[in-house]
Amino acid sequence: MLKNPQHPKKGNLRTKECKFTKSGIEYIDYKDVETLQRFINDQGKILPRRVTGTSAKFQRQLSRAIKRARHMALMSFVVENLR
Amino acid sequence: MKTNYYEHLLVVNAVIDEEEIKTTVQTYVDFLKENGCEIDEVNEWGIQRLAYDIDGKRSGYYVNLYFTGPASVIATLERKEQIDDNIMRYITIKYDNKMLRHRELQKKGAVPEVFPDTDEGESKDDDD
Repeated sequence: MLKNPQHPKKGNLRTKECKFTKSGIEYIDYKDVETLQRFINDQGKILPRRVTGTSAKFQRQLSRAIKRARHMALMSFVVENLR
Repeated sequence: MKTNYYEHLLVVNAVIDEEEIKTTVQTYVDFLKENGCEIDEVNEWGIQRLAYDIDGKRSGYYVNLYFTGPASVIATLERKEQIDDNIMRYITIKYDNKMLRHRELQKKGAVPEVFPDTDEGESKDDDD
C-alpha cells in the first residue's frame, strides 16, 4: 500500500516528523510550558512517540522536561475533575 | 577551581508579605555571591498560579537564577533551601554545551520555534 501511489488510503496517511528536529532546536526547556503542553493528553499523560512522531532523542529530552515542569508545579501530574 | 554554568529555579511561598519574599530571595543571591558564584541573571517571574496545590497553597513566587560557580556550592545551597520553610520547590540544572548554545540563543531571543504560527499550523494539519 505504501509503495502504490494510487492506493485510495494513501491520501490519509500523514507523514509524521519530529517537530523538534524540524525546528532545529537543541534543547527542550522545561520552562517552556506552552510547547510541552502539546505533548500531553487531556489527562496530563505524556503522549507516546508513535502518536507525535517525535524522534527518540527528543522524546527522552521531552519526557525529562515534562517531569521537571511537573515537579516545579508548572504542569500538573493529573488533571482533576475532568468533564 | 572548575566552575559550571547552572540554572536554578525556586518557588517561594507567596503567602508571606512582599518584603519577606524579597529578603528570602536576596538571602540566596547573597549566599551564592559569597561563595564565589558569578550571578548571570536573576529573573523574577512574580506570583504565579501553581499547577497543583502544594501544602494547601495555590500560588507561588517564582525566581529563576542563572549563575556560574563551583559544584560544591550546590549541595550547600540545596541543603539551605530544604530547611527553609518559605521555599516550596527548587531545581538546579547544570548546563552542558548544547544547553549553553541554547541559552545563548535565548539571550538573543533567537530560539527556533517548535510550533511557528500556531493557528495556521493547526488548520494545515487538519487538511492533511
